[in-house]
Amino acid sequence: MIEIKNLHASIETDEGVSKEIIKGLSLSIPAGEVHAIMGPNGAGKSTLSYVLAGRDDYEVTNGSVELDGKDLLDMAPEERAAAGLFLAFQYPIEIPGVNMSMFLKTSINAIRKQRGEEELDALGMLKLIKAKTKALGIKDDMMKRAVNVGFSGGEKKRNEVLQMAMLEPKFCVLDETDSGLDIDALKVVADGVNALRSPDRSFLVITHYQRLLDYIKPDVVHVLAHGKIVKSGGPELALELEEKGYAEFLEEAA
Amino acid sequence: MSLRALKLDNLPTPKVEEWKYTNLSRALGELKDVLPEKPREVVIHRKRGEVCGAIEDIMWKGVDGTHQPLHLKIILDAGVEATVIERHMGEGSYWKNMSTEIILAKNARLNHVRLVEDSAEGVQTNMVHITMERDSYLNSFSLNTGGKMTRHDIHAVLRGENIDCSLNGVNLLKDAQHGDTTIVMEHTAPHCVSNQFYRTILDDAARGVFQGKVHVHQAAQKTDGYQLANTIMLSPKCEMDTKPELEIYADDVKCSHGTTTGALDEEPLFYLRSRGLSEAAARMLLVQAFVDEVCDKIADDAMRDDVKEKAGMWLSEQLR
Repeated sequence: MIEIKNLHASIETDEGVSKEIIKGLSLSIPAGEVHAIMGPNGAGKSTLSYVLAGRDDYEVTNGSVELDGKDLLDMAPEERAAAGLFLAFQYPIEIPGVNMSMFLKTSINAIRKQRGEEELDALGMLKLIKAKTKALGIKDDMMKRAVNVGFSGGEKKRNEVLQMAMLEPKFCVLDETDSGLDIDALKVVADGVNALRSPDRSFLVITHYQRLLDYIKPDVVHVLAHGKIVKSGGPELALELEEKGYAEFLEEAA
Repeated sequence: MSLRALKLDNLPTPKVEEWKYTNLSRALGELKDVLPEKPREVVIHRKRGEVCGAIEDIMWKGVDGTHQPLHLKIILDAGVEATVIERHMGEGSYWKNMSTEIILAKNARLNHVRLVEDSAEGVQTNMVHITMERDSYLNSFSLNTGGKMTRHDIHAVLRGENIDCSLNGVNLLKDAQHGDTTIVMEHTAPHCVSNQFYRTILDDAARGVFQGKVHVHQAAQKTDGYQLANTIMLSPKCEMDTKPELEIYADDVKCSHGTTTGALDEEPLFYLRSRGLSEAAARMLLVQAFVDEVCDKIADDAMRDDVKEKAGMWLSEQLR
């Protein structure tokens, strides 16, 4: 499904110097699997998610990323979305003046059009929105509000999962979806993600804490430090990290 | 009187502090020497108890090579309500030298919409004087897409308690257009609310100006005075001058001003693209939403849709 090989990515600092953040990262996630990436602050977790989604602040200097054999790095962000990539943002962006239903409608039809599918009419859209919001416990009045404007932390993350459910991606990247959530909201969001698990969809769950992985059970856990994967293992690795912290990996790489 | 005496040698320049930043003499060029036409005057006076639901729809047409003195006077007696629409168009180069007077008696309510679509060589200056008595209401909106140079100078005096005065506008400027909005809002009595909400989109080498002042006199306690001016610049060659001012002599008021000027934010753009929108579609959606937030202040549904459509057409042309 997703194949990342020897990925190197840099960002230009405020001083105009190019700084490498991802330093030879390789990762392979087969269809239907959930992989978690854990790591200390500054390891490159968020950079990885932005590079995958195609944010142009980052320059990929080496390596490749393929989704179902297609070169992702060659595509614009919107083409990646149509190809089946979905990034759930750590900090979902506020869009003043654009209400939720307008946003969802525009997004879904833009994706459907790129995929060569027929655009949904108003009624079809309404039905789809109703079904998905109900499953996530989202109230109807949220559809009239401007995208993420004045949303609570929980509402923002629920909104990300709602979009994920509506766009039917093949590969989902969840960037610290647990940040800013209380236990109840965390459970709702995790349930939403779990409901989307299927044999032909894979997930990359990026997090600091083991807690999220109690709810979204990963098949494989990777440790990211200094821009590359330094250790991989089963779910027990997450528990081990929770106990010992990241010190061991930081020393190793240093 | 000799002809010489009628010539306009003392037009204001940007060096005059009160007139900043509009170079009227330069914009007028040879039109300075053109003698004024006979003034055209429109007076709308609604008397007390007069019930008239019809919208006043006024067309001001600019004629090539002329200096046109235009006067608009709107007088609403106590308790009267009215909606006035002004449409500005024209052909060739001209100077619409306009003055507007709006007088609202107590409890009067006015919805005023201006659609300025003057010709590419047209110049329009409009000095607006507004006086409002207690419990009166004004909702003014102006969409400005036309003219080589336009200047909209508004001086509003809130003279009684419990007045609600909103001056809103959208300026969409391209090429070498110059669009200036200058406002002085005088709060002289307590318990009044005023809002100034202006948004500007600049493209090419256009220049926008917004100078807005809220002057709260000592007697005007419990004033709510707000001012917001945001600009999106689509080109590196355009220029925006913004001068927000609060001058407050009362000690129990709520006043704020905010201005932002810059290119379209990258973050929302990326967020929308990550959700499948093309870059062009994402830009259009964001800029349209930016403008629509001001248009939403228009009270009349049909008028609001009309204005949004006009703005949308301008935007889709520029963002192609």
